[in-house]
Amino acid sequence: MKQTLMGNDAIAWGLVHANVDMVSGYPGTPSSEILSVVQKIKNQLELPIYAEWGTNEKVGFEVAYAGAIAGKRTCATMKQVGLNVASDALMSASYIGNLGGMLLIAADDPGFHSSQTEQDSRVFAKFARIPVLDPATPQDAYDMVKQGVALSEKFQVPVMMRPVMRVCHAREIIEMDAETNFKPNEGKFIREVSRWAGVPRDGRLRQGHEVLDRVEAIKQYNWEELLTPEFAQCKGGKLLILTSGTGYAFARETLDDLNLKADIVKIKMPYPLPEAKIREQFEKYEQVLVIEEPYPCVEEQLTHPKLYGKNTGTMHLIDEMKKEHILKAFQSMGFYNGNNIYEVPKLDLGFEVPARPPALCPGCPHRDIYYAIMKVFRKKKSIYPSDIGCYTLALSQGAIDSILCMGASVSMASGFALADPDKTVVATIGDGTFFHSGIPPLLNAVYQGHKFILVILDNSTIAMTGRQPTPERFHQAIDIGKIVEGMGIACMQHTYSHEMQDNIDFMKTVKTQFESPEQVGPLVVRVRQFCILDNERKDDWVPGIFAEVDPELCVACDQCTTVYKCPPMAYNAEGKIEIDPFLCAGCGGCLDVICPTDAFIVDKKKTKGES
Amino acid sequence: MKYQVVIAGFGGQGVVFLVKVLALCAGNRDIPFLGTENHGMSQRGGAVSCDIKVGDFSNPVIDNGQADLIIGLDANEALRNLHLLKQGASVISNAKEAFPVLPFEVTWVDANAKALNNEFPIQGLNVFMLGVALAKVKNFPFSVEEVKQAITQMNAKVAQQNLEILDRAMAYAKNL
Repeated sequence: MKQTLMGNDAIAWGLVHANVDMVSGYPGTPSSEILSVVQKIKNQLELPIYAEWGTNEKVGFEVAYAGAIAGKRTCATMKQVGLNVASDALMSASYIGNLGGMLLIAADDPGFHSSQTEQDSRVFAKFARIPVLDPATPQDAYDMVKQGVALSEKFQVPVMMRPVMRVCHAREIIEMDAETNFKPNEGKFIREVSRWAGVPRDGRLRQGHEVLDRVEAIKQYNWEELLTPEFAQCKGGKLLILTSGTGYAFARETLDDLNLKADIVKIKMPYPLPEAKIREQFEKYEQVLVIEEPYPCVEEQLTHPKLYGKNTGTMHLIDEMKKEHILKAFQSMGFYNGNNIYEVPKLDLGFEVPARPPALCPGCPHRDIYYAIMKVFRKKKSIYPSDIGCYTLALSQGAIDSILCMGASVSMASGFALADPDKTVVATIGDGTFFHSGIPPLLNAVYQGHKFILVILDNSTIAMTGRQPTPERFHQAIDIGKIVEGMGIACMQHTYSHEMQDNIDFMKTVKTQFESPEQVGPLVVRVRQFCILDNERKDDWVPGIFAEVDPELCVACDQCTTVYKCPPMAYNAEGKIEIDPFLCAGCGGCLDVICPTDAFIVDKKKTKGES
Repeated sequence: MKYQVVIAGFGGQGVVFLVKVLALCAGNRDIPFLGTENHGMSQRGGAVSCDIKVGDFSNPVIDNGQADLIIGLDANEALRNLHLLKQGASVISNAKEAFPVLPFEVTWVDANAKALNNEFPIQGLNVFMLGVALAKVKNFPFSVEEVKQAITQMNAKVAQQNLEILDRAMAYAKNL
């Protein structure tokens, strides 16, 4: 049956059609929609599938992994940096293996579209010595999910699939099973202490040898089942192109665009590679080029004098794949001598198109809370560590000094407070990230007595990745205030107000408390908020007070465009600020305090009860 | 057939909706289609551009000098992506003021003013601009009927309103 699907939809259908009983993971772009779509399919078709978000990637992985030990077919989903969090479990799972099939989906983000690093999960698979499949298209991804689950059962080890953003968020017409006849697998834990609880030295050394044997067996499989059919279509000649993932699609199109011919091999499983068998094929060619992203994973397994790629400076080393990179590689290898057809003359518009970086949404309460923090805890006397989430975008308000990784705001607040005790450290973290990895560093700060302020921006959703529910909201509600109090310290509480002065007044009480002599250790503040994109809750919070500008009062002082930074505010042709009526969310946040001349006034036409 | 479209705008304007509509058009006619979408951080009010490739392609990304058409839901976002256009390509853009003179087939409309004037709800900006493209782009790969069918498939509940916006946009653009 043909279906027009996004890559992540295709992956979700692949999981259902592979009879995967348990899916667990943590949201992260570009992987997030996979689990959400499985939930949707499960609910629509009333299938007996467990599909739930874990507290973090490590938890998500371990839930799925135990399911696979007990014979279920399972899957863990996450983005590439999420795999860092789950890596402790992964490294050992490779030694221990599983009885049911377990597919680990780690979605990579070459080009840093929504990620802090451009790491390569295929290299992580190699590090963990587990096989990895690399789809080039949504169709590949659908097929490889089934293949990966079967492989995992066959070799009794977790199998990784690594789709990149241009697979997860690509859309195409794919061919999939016409019918969904979901067959659940029986879960039955079989006690085998030496395997499931293998310990150092003897137990793990034995399993380490098993890992090496398994890698050799999988290399053999890779050669016979996946690579032999590919090489069978190759004719030999000047150039052989070895590709992994989207490299295949980019290479094929570049050849078409340039009217060139070369043998292209799609390496579906970029680790483990049967190196010797592949190198034998090089004899039929003058040169071999590897096209893959983002790291030279295939290239480093196959080192050979005829081999070109990233390590020879032939292909790009960082940022997303482009056909132009391949064209230039062809040029430098002497395979193509024509023009750079992807080079276009720069058009002179007579002006620079202004940049439009991502911004906090109009009406987002984060903006107001950060504004209040900055108003009370002045920049020169404070350090603002923050964390991963929508609120990271408060960077543009100048309200954030450091970003590292999930949960690091809290532990870095400890470090900054110890290193520079003359400044007040005001850390900010969202509720999702606090649950993910903010709790252990807060425990640390409490028992070590590190003195800083932690503001938990609690909108009860994981907003950035598509508003997945947090543990506060789902099944059994978990109260952040009680978690903090359980550590033996108080949790100051505030509810976001659309009247800015309320937020500022609250932050002043925080400052007073922090500076009082009885304050030792961290001061935790929880601000209850909402997400403006959260249709279930936003109407309870947004007052529907729309703003406009009194041009007589606007003195073009830039306060709103540099400090408050709400997207609807921009200068018009007369040099006065104007509010884009289509973007204003009606939060009323700008009506007080923000403008030194009070130029923001209520738009009486748009505001109900005012006209 | 090979036809490549860039849809440019910013987060929240409904760029991805148009990708889905054109994907359905291709699916209904059973011709190959590849598209890219923006999700996550790139969705948050920032610049968004989606690529659509209809016909025999293997990767979903449009490289410089390759696109046949840009549909801009915002003037600056259309201008930001001009490097993707090939010679003789078309630009259909929403713009508040006169568009710069460009070596392409340009049609610009002040759709925001029309929405302010209550001619259509601003949520329908994406469909309005698609209507302008249907009326003005000679070699647009899909017919009006095909687009209407896809819009109806997308969301039957709001289909009627979207189809009215599409008709209004086409009627308006014909006289430009």
